[in-house]
Amino acid sequence: MPASGVVAIAWPQLALAAGFILVTAVLSLALGLGLAKDLAVASARTYLQLLALGFVLRWVFAARLWWIVVVLLGIMTVVATRIVLKRSPDAPPGLFGSAFLSMALTSVTVTFAVTALIVRVPVWYEPRYVIPIAGMVLGNSMTGIALALERLFSDLDSRTEEILALTALGASRWELASASVRTSLRAGLIPTINAMAAAGIVFIPGMMTGQVLAGADPLEATKYQIVVMLMVSAATAVGSIMAVMLSYRRRFSTDGVYLEKGIRGVR
Amino acid sequence: MVVSAPLLSATGIVATRRADGHDIRVLNGVDIALRAGDIVELRGPSGAGKTTLLLALARLLPGAGGILALEGEPATAIAPEVWRTRVALLPQRTVLSEGAVAYNLRLPFSLKVREGVAAPEECDLREALDDVGLDDISLRRDARQLSVGQVARVALLRVLLARPRVLLLDEPDASLDDASAAAVAGMTARFAAEGGAVLRVSHLRTDAAATANYRLAAGRLTEVIADAS
Repeated sequence: MPASGVVAIAWPQLALAAGFILVTAVLSLALGLGLAKDLAVASARTYLQLLALGFVLRWVFAARLWWIVVVLLGIMTVVATRIVLKRSPDAPPGLFGSAFLSMALTSVTVTFAVTALIVRVPVWYEPRYVIPIAGMVLGNSMTGIALALERLFSDLDSRTEEILALTALGASRWELASASVRTSLRAGLIPTINAMAAAGIVFIPGMMTGQVLAGADPLEATKYQIVVMLMVSAATAVGSIMAVMLSYRRRFSTDGVYLEKGIRGVR
Repeated sequence: MVVSAPLLSATGIVATRRADGHDIRVLNGVDIALRAGDIVELRGPSGAGKTTLLLALARLLPGAGGILALEGEPATAIAPEVWRTRVALLPQRTVLSEGAVAYNLRLPFSLKVREGVAAPEECDLREALDDVGLDDISLRRDARQLSVGQVARVALLRVLLARPRVLLLDEPDASLDDASAAAVAGMTARFAAEGGAVLRVSHLRTDAAATANYRLAAGRLTEVIADAS
């Protein structure tokens, strides 16, 4: 075992891991699940993408340049935003800006709050800390924001008749949308709350598992995990609220009329 | 005879609808004036644009054009939400919100647009329900448990309690039995008698209290004069 405490995995052993997928593929063929090809492609992508990430991170950690960190954070946020919008097919067009802003502001704030105030890294852009933490924060808030946006617009569509009746009574856009906004925020936050409640009892969170496998003291790994979990929850909550509040108006005309499916595109 | 100024006047109302990749002009310059005491019936073939016209008059149709005025005041000088409190539309498929009957009846008064206007007391709500034959409905009854006929009357009552000047009704007696339809007709007649104006889309029944009949076809509105013989 090396001094760092990490048991290194040799290349042949890494290739051996594919054997387990091979067993699954054989089972898929035997049961006629039709997943053998998907499994093969997904496994190949896992190898390629993660190995590429390993090489890139090795280079980024060694370079320790602030602008590389900033560019990487920008790319990560753009990709996360695109995934959010892809998962909300009912969302109106033109949401990229608000979704990007919600994720960028919350994730950047939370990431640098953790690295500067809690971990207290010597330089603000220390890539070894900033990039993995930003990845966790972005990944989780992306899921929360996607769930919240998807629920917001599907819930509004399901209330079309009620919304028309309320609009005719003089309700404002906020009064019309607030019930759906609350429903969507609950939908976006429930997975995070469940994850916090189950952590340590039902499962050992990924970051803590990684640190323990890398030889860290479990109590120290726990402290990191608590910080990350709370920060991720905060980023998900604030990001979801921002994204929903910035986007619900887009489903209404300038006169406060809900744009149901037949009249979308008219302002 | 002195002709009173219209409560609601609409001139050159136009509206288009997109269907199968083409823009169809549903309303092609509709003019109408509704005066206090009017109960105007609107008829026309399916798809002629009757609902579209009501939506345009209530300023609930984005993209509609034309000139609207309420008691001589142009629509451009009145905020859309305020306009809708005075020119109230009751949609054909009325849905009450989740909650008790009393909550639904008071809902208009919880909106910002009526800030400062006192909501009716429980005894007033009870009396109003009794008046329209809903004496067997408790104020605490879940609105989602009401029958179609009861929902139609509660929804109309909710609009009337908010005291609009003009009432736009989209087939208010569709899918109602004769007794419920008569109750709805009675409510609208009382509203008109108290100085309101009513425009109602009719399909099945004829309102005996109607003061005028219009027909909408090919985007145009024409008055139907009853045959004296």
